[in-house]
Amino acid sequence: MPRIEDLSDVQRHAVLNFACFEYDSSPFVPLREPLQNVRLALVTTAGLHCRGDRPFSPGDQSYRAIPAHAPDRDILQSHNSIGFDRTAIYRDLNVTFPRDRLLELVQQGVIASRTSNDYSFMGAQTNPKRILEETGPEVARLLLEDGAGAAILTPT
Amino acid sequence: METAGLPTCSLVLLKEHAQRTKPPRALFVPFPYGYALGRPNDPEFQHRVLRAALQLFSAPGPTLAEFSGAVDGPVQLVQASAVEPFSIERDPADDLTAMRGYYERWVEGHGGRTAVGNSGIPQRRFRGLVRFLEAYVAGTPADDPEIPHDIPVPLFIRFAADDLKAFMLEGRMEQRPQDHGNALHDWLWSETAIGRLLAQVARRLKQDGEEKAAFGIAR
Repeated sequence: MPRIEDLSDVQRHAVLNFACFEYDSSPFVPLREPLQNVRLALVTTAGLHCRGDRPFSPGDQSYRAIPAHAPDRDILQSHNSIGFDRTAIYRDLNVTFPRDRLLELVQQGVIASRTSNDYSFMGAQTNPKRILEETGPEVARLLLEDGAGAAILTPT
Repeated sequence: METAGLPTCSLVLLKEHAQRTKPPRALFVPFPYGYALGRPNDPEFQHRVLRAALQLFSAPGPTLAEFSGAVDGPVQLVQASAVEPFSIERDPADDLTAMRGYYERWVEGHGGRTAVGNSGIPQRRFRGLVRFLEAYVAGTPADDPEIPHDIPVPLFIRFAADDLKAFMLEGRMEQRPQDHGNALHDWLWSETAIGRLLAQVARRLKQDGEEKAAFGIAR
């Protein structure tokens, strides 16, 4: 979003009073090797999935794998809130899920490689307990098994 | 994920929430919702955002940084209730016929990519989808479309609405490449019979107690 001061009173109130989990400190693990040796993963909360997969329903805390070989035309978004402008992602998947850009970074040698799967969760969660305790760590394990050294997380 | 041992860096659209949830590495991007990488079809700009995010991996501890740079895009999206509703007698299915050529050209020009697909109904059969939604609004019986994935009817209606929007908006972007953001949403809600039908569907869902599904369609 936009800066808080640009919002309507109603939106600002909703954002400032949103009951997100609050923490006093951050979990932190450093990179194990320099970025140019890292296999990078992409994880999004944009509610993306492959055509034919079960779409996300609101509040759904499961995840979908998006294989690197899935072409853009096979990727759909079932996070369809009217709170954001979908026409940006209609034009370019990379505006939310920048996998073409990450492939370019591999070609430039900025990162070593990309994971064989990326993952998506559903956005606009009000109580993401299951993601926090179960499905989030599960995706982390799957990515580590895939050789991931780090992940970029994108919202929508 | 970080606790499970995977270093992460998040792009965040809400600085105020990131300050409270405290992710390990976060880059606040002051862009509208839906624009996490800033600008569609602008690889150079998207790379600037990614470079700023990747830089946070070299910080020795938790970091919340801010990306400097602004983009165009609607901070507040035009909603159905904010515009003069479409008042001309017109069959919403005729909107589909009028936009079909543009829509198909859009898909062809984007390597077959389209946001249409969550309802599972092929676009050539959207006339039937319109009749189904009209019957739902009127409370009269209709032939049920084949609902894939065993999803509940209100959710199917939401996906059907989403597919009709995507069909219309992708067609419109082909027809008027100069239009962006709110110009497109304004057109959908104030100048099309499909937009009017979707606002009616949302009202009906709300009356039926399906607030969540309704909220995602129109307000």
